[in-house]
Amino acid sequence: MSGFIHLNVASAFSGHFGVTRPERMVEAAAAQGVQAAAITDRDGLYGAVKHIGACLQLGISPIVGVNLAILDDAGNQLGRCVILAHGNNRGLGWAKLCKIVSVAHALPKAVKKQVGIARSALADLLRDEGGCTVLLGPDSDVGLEVLAANRSGAIEALEAWRECLRTPGTLAIEIVSHITEPGTELSVLQARRMLQLADATKTPAVLTNAVRYLEPDDALTADILDSARHLEALGLFKPQPNAQAWLKPASMMQSLAVEITEDRDRALELFSTTAKLAKLCALDAVGDCDWGRPKTPEKAALGIEGNPFEVLWQKAHAGIDRFYPRANDSLLTQVKHRLGQELITINKLGFATYFLTVADVAQMIRDMGIRSQARGSGAGSLTNYLLGISGVDPIEHDLLFERFLSVERSSLPDIDIDVESARRHEIYRAIFKRYGSDRVTLLSMQSTYRGRGAMRDSGLALGLDDEQIDEIAKNMWRFSARSFRGALQTKPELAKFAEEVEQDRRMSLLVDITERLDRLPRHISMHPCGVILGDISLLRRTPVEQSGLGLPMSQFDKDDMDPMGLLKLDVLGVRMQSAMAYAIREISRVSGKEIDLDAVPRDDAATFRDIRTTNTLGIFQIESPGQRELTGKHQPTEFNDLTIQISLFRPGPMKGNMIAPYLDGRHGFAKPDFIHKDLEPILRETWGVVIFHEHVIRILNQMTGCGLAKGDELRRSLEKPRIKPQIETFFRNEAAKRGYSKEVIERVWSVIEGFSSFGFCKAHGAAFALPTYQSAWLKTHYPTEFIAGLLTHDPGMYPRRLLLSEARRLGVKVLPVDVNFSTDEYLVEPITRKTLDANEPQIGVRLSIRDVQSISDAEVARIIENRPYKDTADFYLRAKPTRRTLENLALIGALDGLAAAEVTRGDVLARVRQLNAIKNRKAMNANQPTLDFSVLETMPTGNPESSKQDRVQAELSILKMDISEHVLELYRPMLDEMGVLRSDELVGLRSKTEVLVAGVRVATQTPPMRSGKRVVFVTLDDGVGCSDSTFFDEAQSRCSHILFNTRLLVIAGKTRRTGVRGVSLMAENAWDIRDLWEQWINKKKTPLAG
Amino acid sequence: MLRVDERVEVSVDRVGEPIGFWWRGAGYLVKSKPIRWFARREWWIEAARVQRGIGAGVLEVEMWRMSASSNNKDKAQYELVHTLDTSGGQKHIWRLVRVYD
Repeated sequence: MSGFIHLNVASAFSGHFGVTRPERMVEAAAAQGVQAAAITDRDGLYGAVKHIGACLQLGISPIVGVNLAILDDAGNQLGRCVILAHGNNRGLGWAKLCKIVSVAHALPKAVKKQVGIARSALADLLRDEGGCTVLLGPDSDVGLEVLAANRSGAIEALEAWRECLRTPGTLAIEIVSHITEPGTELSVLQARRMLQLADATKTPAVLTNAVRYLEPDDALTADILDSARHLEALGLFKPQPNAQAWLKPASMMQSLAVEITEDRDRALELFSTTAKLAKLCALDAVGDCDWGRPKTPEKAALGIEGNPFEVLWQKAHAGIDRFYPRANDSLLTQVKHRLGQELITINKLGFATYFLTVADVAQMIRDMGIRSQARGSGAGSLTNYLLGISGVDPIEHDLLFERFLSVERSSLPDIDIDVESARRHEIYRAIFKRYGSDRVTLLSMQSTYRGRGAMRDSGLALGLDDEQIDEIAKNMWRFSARSFRGALQTKPELAKFAEEVEQDRRMSLLVDITERLDRLPRHISMHPCGVILGDISLLRRTPVEQSGLGLPMSQFDKDDMDPMGLLKLDVLGVRMQSAMAYAIREISRVSGKEIDLDAVPRDDAATFRDIRTTNTLGIFQIESPGQRELTGKHQPTEFNDLTIQISLFRPGPMKGNMIAPYLDGRHGFAKPDFIHKDLEPILRETWGVVIFHEHVIRILNQMTGCGLAKGDELRRSLEKPRIKPQIETFFRNEAAKRGYSKEVIERVWSVIEGFSSFGFCKAHGAAFALPTYQSAWLKTHYPTEFIAGLLTHDPGMYPRRLLLSEARRLGVKVLPVDVNFSTDEYLVEPITRKTLDANEPQIGVRLSIRDVQSISDAEVARIIENRPYKDTADFYLRAKPTRRTLENLALIGALDGLAAAEVTRGDVLARVRQLNAIKNRKAMNANQPTLDFSVLETMPTGNPESSKQDRVQAELSILKMDISEHVLELYRPMLDEMGVLRSDELVGLRSKTEVLVAGVRVATQTPPMRSGKRVVFVTLDDGVGCSDSTFFDEAQSRCSHILFNTRLLVIAGKTRRTGVRGVSLMAENAWDIRDLWEQWINKKKTPLAG
Repeated sequence: MLRVDERVEVSVDRVGEPIGFWWRGAGYLVKSKPIRWFARREWWIEAARVQRGIGAGVLEVEMWRMSASSNNKDKAQYELVHTLDTSGGQKHIWRLVRVYD
């Protein structure tokens, strides 16, 4: 007996059951010297593709099955079984398995929460053709009868199964022993009786170890996953019996077999039956799963006739007139030549249908009137531009097709389309409708445990208090939870927790199990944007389950697409696209002007002037504190500058120290160094700095003559340490042959060698730069409409109150919530001018009632429907708000418009409380036929006007926005006395001036730094703008208690000039404004002591 | 059933199965084939650390059940716990935990 193939192996992709990732499990199996390895996840094939890929890489056969709950026709539980697909039958077994899993996820509504398959449905699927083997193990109904020592019950249960699964090879008994206490589940005794039953009924029996983890040590992690699955603390549910469910080697499985059978020959037979079933189930990845063969919708599904390539050729050429209407001859020649080259490549790869499919979807989206924009390397393709998929001209922006697609690679390219996020579900539904739900499914994704999530579920397992966990989780910033214990020593904000860990055993356990959970799969959900488009065979290749959206979703994730030859289209909802579409709609609605944003010239001077002020809040991609700072230094003047800036502000270029030399070159502080005159045309745009993938490809091509396609292959291989030396040799030899000096070769190699992980795809940057420019253009020319769009669709990283701050700064008129005018959106509203001052704005943004705290959608709808209201009582009677909503609306002044001008906010509130009291009375006496109208008619008078402070507080707590004035104004007397500067005063200061700034925290970031040390950036808004402060180690430990959590801050630091308009603060200390305020107030109260 | 928790000295055969033990000054001889299994522990109550790699010993223990008798007593069922003390060398530790009359 040599080698033992485990046929029941749950991986970490089994919904909090298995512990080990498939790749590791397969590696271990291969190391045990077996010829095949199985994966049998619970409820799905979530890990199957990764498993198959790992097996192929190690040259062993993949076996795939599923572990499912079985039900009888009345919906009663028949335990769980493993179902294994048979292989080498041209996909029959695999298709059956996919179908079984899909059916198990489509139980009728009554049992919807549950995943499982009716035995009769299973029998129907396996009748005649077979294709799978069902293993009846210790968890099956048969196993449970055996455990109860009910021999006749067990025989009856088994007979029922044999009745259902008559096709030979579809049924076997699974013998498992985890050497538990005699007579209990998974004991030797249960296994022995199962075997006796199998022998008595002549049912084949196989041995497994019902594996949940690779090594015994992992059993501890399994305990925690059990807790997460049960949603209960350890000790409150029945735990696994011991730590035996690991991938035992053949020798141990052999001892188990002997212990169970007490008969060496029977043990041998058990081994050989197991090996036989393994052989039957060994899959041929290509033959069975159609591994790696690209699948696209059939011609008929796309509505095309004839040769797809000819259709593509015509469609693309037809685009030339449309997109290059005024092109001169030389440009036309260039366009036609490039298009020809691209089409030849596409034809060679056989991807014509793929491009037609994407073009078809893009056209469909346009026809729906939804804004869209291709992103990623696809923007480098002229074909995509001419088909209307991408909006960026690759010739104008000098983008390379080869970065996107080449004959050197045969994997399906990725084309991602950004669309208005608010309408993306409409698009998904339309795609399903257009191509049919047998060719389309959504893509899923597996989220994994990261720091805080791992900590929360660990806390649950230990039965720790939620609040306590939240408190600790709040201070987990930018470190891998895998090294949690190490972080305790080095992170100042964890110091308090570190002390608890020393003293409290449970806290110490919390750290250990958080480390264990980190990076394990957590749960499956709908991928935010992926749609799989396949041919009619799609549902035979992938199992599907219902997504949260109600549409079917594949159990495979994005990494599984390429191996399975599935075409994934990313239709990504981008809120900025929604915000821009909204702004354009409002411009048209209020002023009647129709704007074609995509046709706006991309060289508007006013737009770039505004960008250069660094007031970029709300602008796509460049509104973050870091991008603002970079904008100040960079001072972009044209579209390509935006492409460069977006590409520079990435972890790679920052780590690779590319920003400083680029800026030095641009501002003339240093002479650009192109290394060799041949490289000057390639690197002129970035002053000699290699930033883009396209740069590397061109340099390799220039110096070795390898061609652009090969150049991209070489570039990709630079990231693979094993292949890199070959590339180096190739580069050095070829460059030398072309006469480049040793010194030049040396220098260029050192640049591109270090580049691999740093650079950015220019096409991607250019695709991003388009909405950046478009949003900046809207902000410059239509600030009111743009702010309305931002407030409605909330696209950025900042809270809404900061947008309001920005609106104030821009002079955009903000109109308060008013029940007669506000809707569920932030509408642009014409203002009737009270004065003749031409500078007064003619339009303003009316705040929405949608964001009033605790208001319901039904209330919003009722309020809008019953307008207008003539007074508060009328509103109360017809809009029927809850008492809480009515009072909230009064508190933020939304009812002020219903009362006469002289009525105070205090009067309105008193009125509302009167009305609310009626409700109370009515509830107490249901028989009272009519309302007490005397109350309805009297308006209280003489109540004081509410103070500014009260108003701002009410606005903040009810709308999360300070509308009347900036919240900081409340503290202004103290701040003035302290000498706190306003953020717009900083830009006029010299470097290293000691200052105090204050504000509301709007962003906290800990970007990766070149040194590896952690740096914390805090951005404060003080009503006139934002200030950015940098906390290094020392400052971090000085104010660790407020570094991440306090909202209102005063920061002391030194100014640091970073460019023409760039200034930031090196923080030295920070305080909570409210603490300072308390001290200040107390000091004011206490008379000076003698 | 009598619950105890006392250290006992155990003699084992070549494959590690107990053949006899000394408890409270008396020698006991094993009279049946001992049965071994693995039981679990509630580490979340007992353990100080469960870091990755600590091993399954935190979670499970090896148990042995056998009938045995001493000179002057009737045969009874005895349950022993077997652990390895890894702090200094690989020392076998046996504890008697249950006696069934």
